[in-house]
Amino acid sequence: MVFLSRTQVIAAIGAVLLVLYVLDLVRRRKLSEEYSLLWLISTVVVAALGFSTPLLVWVSRELGIVQENSTVFAFGLAFSLAMLLHLSVRLSRLGQENQALARELALLRHDLEESGSGRAPAAAPAADRA
Amino acid sequence: MSGLRVLVIIPAHDEQESLPATLDELRAVAPGLDLLVVDDGSRDGTAGVARARGVRVLRLPFNLGVGAALQTGFRWAVEHGYDAGVQFDADGQHDPATLEALLEPLRAGRCDVSIGSRYVQRSGYRAPAARRLGMVLFSGLVSAVLRVRITDTTSGFRAYARRVMEVCQHDFPRDFPDAPLLIALGRRGFRMEEVPVRMRARRAGRSFYTLGTSLYYPYKNLLASLMALLQRPAQP
Ligand SMILES: Nc1nc2c(ncn2[C@@H]2O[C@H](COP(=O)(O)OP(=O)(O)O)[C@@H](O)[C@H]2O)c(=O)[nH]1
Ligand SMILES: [Mg+2]
Repeated sequence: MVFLSRTQVIAAIGAVLLVLYVLDLVRRRKLSEEYSLLWLISTVVVAALGFSTPLLVWVSRELGIVQENSTVFAFGLAFSLAMLLHLSVRLSRLGQENQALARELALLRHDLEESGSGRAPAAAPAADRA
Repeated sequence: MSGLRVLVIIPAHDEQESLPATLDELRAVAPGLDLLVVDDGSRDGTAGVARARGVRVLRLPFNLGVGAALQTGFRWAVEHGYDAGVQFDADGQHDPATLEALLEPLRAGRCDVSIGSRYVQRSGYRAPAARRLGMVLFSGLVSAVLRVRITDTTSGFRAYARRVMEVCQHDFPRDFPDAPLLIALGRRGFRMEEVPVRMRARRAGRSFYTLGTSLYYPYKNLLASLMALLQRPAQP
């Protein structure tokens, strides 16, 4: 029986707490199901590695990692990178959608100004909508 | 109670091939119902073919998903005083001849959401095995939670009473309005009833559901169903 190292246990407990928190965020609708997917997969994998020493030893050996603890953190890091990439992609899409909205608004304002000839609506105070 | 003002809401994404025949058929079979097409960022002439027929069109500036398009329609229906809204596919899969049967439970005041189901009666429709498994799973889940037999959780042919649309205009799934929606509505105290319908083949083009969808769908809907159970039910 291989004993669990302390770092391993800390990482695993942290991961379990994170899973619960992510689920609670989804329940309270602060996080959409779509975004929860990567979070849940990553934390479940880290927790599994942290709690199961045989699994951790086997994965470490297959990957040629000498220090088992590094395996846990390597996975954590890999998932963080995946998450950042995912967020960059979504952010790009959000930017494009935002532009499309602005273009649409320009067209609408033009039509409104034409039809209401003379009574051009003043620029809406954008701060109101924060 | 037959004087319901009914709006048929047709979410459409790149449906210029199918939409004209769908609209013509609706006009011919159900002349008393108002139509509203919600064009969800189509790249083709979807909005144009609808306008050419004098049908009102709401255009979204980019693709938001079926649920979000439908929600836009609900909002419009509520603001314009409709008593009920029908969700109707643009691709011709739904038969307008069954519209009256779908609306009947609402007219009679028996329920708040009426669902056109392919499975209440044998209708010759056979889905692929994986999809059948999912349908059995989700209809079992919804039926157990709501204690009402719901056989077709993925049906896109439904009628919603005004009070349901009032809730849904603020809170509605953006992508798939399926099992989690039914659970959430049931827990709010809305009554549901299924009406047997038959579905036809889509007129043109292809279904938008892809491999990615079929992998993500069970995850999203299981999680969202679970969350709908854990969320405190609001009062209608
Ligand atoms: N608003 C909107 N409607 C969509 C989208 N994808 C599909 N639809 C519409 O939803 C209906 C059903 O879509 P379909 O792809 O046939 O799904 P299926 O019948 O379940 O295979 C049709 O009226 C489509 O035009 C979308 O992204 N946005
Ligand atoms: Mg279809």
